[in-house]
Amino acid sequence: MSKPALMRQMPQIAHVDVNCFYASAERAFDPSLEGRPLVVLSNNDGCAVTRSPEAKALGIATGEPWFKLAPRAKEWGLVAKSSNYELYGDISARVMELLGRYSAWLEVYSIDEAFLGVKGEPEQLLALGRTMKNAVRRNVGVPVCVGIAPTKTLAKLCNKWAKNNPAFGGVCHWDSVPGAVREQLLGRLSVEEIWGIAGRLTKRLNAIGIHTILDLTRTDPVAIRDKFSVVMMRTVLELNGTPCIPMEEERLGRDQLIFSRSFSTPVTTVAGLRQVLSVYGQNASARLAKHGLQAKVLTAFAGTSPFSGQEQAYPSVCVPLPMPTADPLLLTRAAHALLPNIREGLKYVKVGLMLTDLRPTGNQSPLELFENRHEEHRIGTLLEDVGSRFGRGSIGLGHAGIKSGLDWTMKRNMRSPRYTTHWDELPLVKAA
Amino acid sequence: MGVIVGPRVIDAGASLFSVLISPVPVAAGFPSPAQDYFDGRIDLNAHLIKDITSTFVVRVTGDSMERAGISDGDELIVNRALEPRDGSVVIAVLDGELTVKRLRLTPTGVVLQAENPKYPDIKVPALSELTIWGVATRCLHHV
Repeated sequence: MSKPALMRQMPQIAHVDVNCFYASAERAFDPSLEGRPLVVLSNNDGCAVTRSPEAKALGIATGEPWFKLAPRAKEWGLVAKSSNYELYGDISARVMELLGRYSAWLEVYSIDEAFLGVKGEPEQLLALGRTMKNAVRRNVGVPVCVGIAPTKTLAKLCNKWAKNNPAFGGVCHWDSVPGAVREQLLGRLSVEEIWGIAGRLTKRLNAIGIHTILDLTRTDPVAIRDKFSVVMMRTVLELNGTPCIPMEEERLGRDQLIFSRSFSTPVTTVAGLRQVLSVYGQNASARLAKHGLQAKVLTAFAGTSPFSGQEQAYPSVCVPLPMPTADPLLLTRAAHALLPNIREGLKYVKVGLMLTDLRPTGNQSPLELFENRHEEHRIGTLLEDVGSRFGRGSIGLGHAGIKSGLDWTMKRNMRSPRYTTHWDELPLVKAA
Repeated sequence: MGVIVGPRVIDAGASLFSVLISPVPVAAGFPSPAQDYFDGRIDLNAHLIKDITSTFVVRVTGDSMERAGISDGDELIVNRALEPRDGSVVIAVLDGELTVKRLRLTPTGVVLQAENPKYPDIKVPALSELTIWGVATRCLHHV
């Protein structure tokens, strides 16, 4: 069924997602990991949170505890890495900054995925998808897949198809897939494969005879609202091509908190952006406190309007925080690290903060309080000055001053170097 | 028209690449709207980094590139987005390791050269059989 040309010109949504993000970020700097089974472990080296395809092929499940895998690691040739949030945060910031060059409308959805508003003929959209995929691979060194569709739900689904079916070459565009093929694919997928439908809902859907995504697509949206909720109705509408899920402004994911917003009136001054970043820093702090969490890495980003006719810019910075924190002052100060990259006069229409490496507040070190009390006496500034001149970790209070001592509450024995954020941990290249 | 971006990663509250210079008188020319915000610093990021998304800093270990002015312990600025050409100093993946070499694209094949007679050339049948990680654009040589 071919659609009229007018329909094709409707804005569409591209969902871009890094394949096995943490594992791919590790491989980008350590080619010896290429082709080997690799898992990245959660905080405290607990469980496998990311698995390379080779690790999946070994039957390793997400969440499998490392102590169970460790005895067989040698036999399998399995490599494990501790989470390296500074590396992942910076790679994420690079990917998002690059993607921002391709669309007026970028929603950073999580550390490794984004939605972009796109427009054009099917061939143009497919070409754009390939261009973005190649650019991220070439510039940043990580592989992505792209799904393009009229709605977010379908775009995510297309991305999944692109990932699982090599025939798509990493880019799947809903309207370019023949209707019969789409139905076949939808009929093969269980409803739980849809974005936002969890196990409990799956059971209830199964109970009324809805098993596959195709079943759900053919359900009456109003009837489903009465049986379930307006959220389920939105999903059915989205599956049928009606966009219902708007740009989100705040979201607490599994391991990240994101604030991002587009303004109707552009902000053109550094002072204005300082205010926005301050408000976000405080909101983020309140949100973290509410969930009993602290963050160790903050990413701040901004973007200009592509319609202003001006030069465009999508600056972003990744700021490793000195300690896990939910302190509004610290978070705000970290967010302000974006300001030197802001150019006075450009029209910024979106700003966002992303907090990663989240951990429960209970893990905080008592030294943090100690350090904060001294902050009033400007010792913090003094430490910073000494640290910036002689290297971080050259001076500090008690154990906090010892290099890598800041992570002492966290076990990360297998962490790779923080290649892109620490001068003394740069990737080594052999001249031999 | 490049987008000029400052340091992307802030550590210890200081830019890695900020250099203070004394104010220098500049001949009057086209007035820049940014003049009021000019703070007298050269931003090495702006000059040394063409694309912030694709630029990485790596550290050299070994002496095989001495003749090219690249010594053990020097840092290289590497742009992963650049197309490697004949004569480029490249970071190539050899046996799973990042290795710095001079790339030679000759009619008879591809050669990875060391810049030190102690090390032999490495012949590669075709560029497609080689993974070029990035192209070095600058060497931060320790003098």
